[in-house]
Amino acid sequence: MRMKKCWFCSSTIYPGHGIQFVRNDVKIFRFCRSKCHKNFKMKRNPRKVKWTKAYRRLHGKDMTQDSTFEFERKRNRPERYDRNVTENTLKAIKTIDKVRSRREAKHIERRKKGKKAQQTIEAVKELEQSISLVKAPAFLRVDPSLTLPKIMVKVSQGQESQSQRMEE
Amino acid sequence: MAAGLASKWSRVGRSLLGGLGNNLSNLLTTSHEMACNNSLSQQQRTFIQMRTVLKVVDNSGAKKVMCIQALKGKKGARLGDTIVASVKEAHPNGKVKKGKVVYGVVVRAAMQRGRCDGSEVKFDDNAVVLVDKQGQPIGTRVFGPVPHELRKKKHVKILTLAGHIA
Repeated sequence: MRMKKCWFCSSTIYPGHGIQFVRNDVKIFRFCRSKCHKNFKMKRNPRKVKWTKAYRRLHGKDMTQDSTFEFERKRNRPERYDRNVTENTLKAIKTIDKVRSRREAKHIERRKKGKKAQQTIEAVKELEQSISLVKAPAFLRVDPSLTLPKIMVKVSQGQESQSQRMEE
Repeated sequence: MAAGLASKWSRVGRSLLGGLGNNLSNLLTTSHEMACNNSLSQQQRTFIQMRTVLKVVDNSGAKKVMCIQALKGKKGARLGDTIVASVKEAHPNGKVKKGKVVYGVVVRAAMQRGRCDGSEVKFDDNAVVLVDKQGQPIGTRVFGPVPHELRKKKHVKILTLAGHIA
């Protein structure tokens, strides 16, 4: 007994489900349910259909590379039956599943969080540069009648620098 | 069977309309066909029964064969069943000639067949391998995929000749 993947949506097909279509070029297409099968008959490309795993992986919505995927690769070498190995494998499957789902959830969360820091920097820059869109430049220019004229006052060295700064 | 009848009726209807007229009913036929296409876009695949044309996928000489009788089965033959057929089209120099009545084993059927694990298989077309009365294939080669339902039906020779077992 083997759990196969649906050709269209990449979900697992459990025994007793789905339809298997054998094309004359001996390519076998397995579908998990009639939804996938009908989409296939309509000649839709799963990479363009939004709810399939192929689309999500292609567009970076779901995790693509992870070490937990290595465990699921098909190995064509038959293993000699060993009870301990079987037991440990079954336990490992559970933990690997948990780890993988946690990592996938985190990936999605990270994707949804957004880039807050970068957005604030961009906002500040925009405020500096494009403030003219909101307020008229005449309003921002300093009115000469309101400012006091600069007077040169002869003071000692240390105090001169201090007073100049205050005038500004 | 009902689905087969329904498809027959639609065929009859379309032929009637075609026979009726020329210009006026041309529009009618096209619109009717379009309506038919929209509603029957999912083709209903049924049994292999009398008048079903099947493709021959061995090198016995025949190309197309029309089913005369489905042995076993009230509604028709399915994947793995034997049929009695009449050769409609044949290669010029082959073991079987046109018009000969032969037995055949259905190796590919467009109608899905349930497997014992609960899944279903379906193929792209209806294909048959010609056999003699004892069940031994007449040809020496078989083309295309073959289901392993034949093992249960004791058509082991066809399985050995096959290139791929689906």
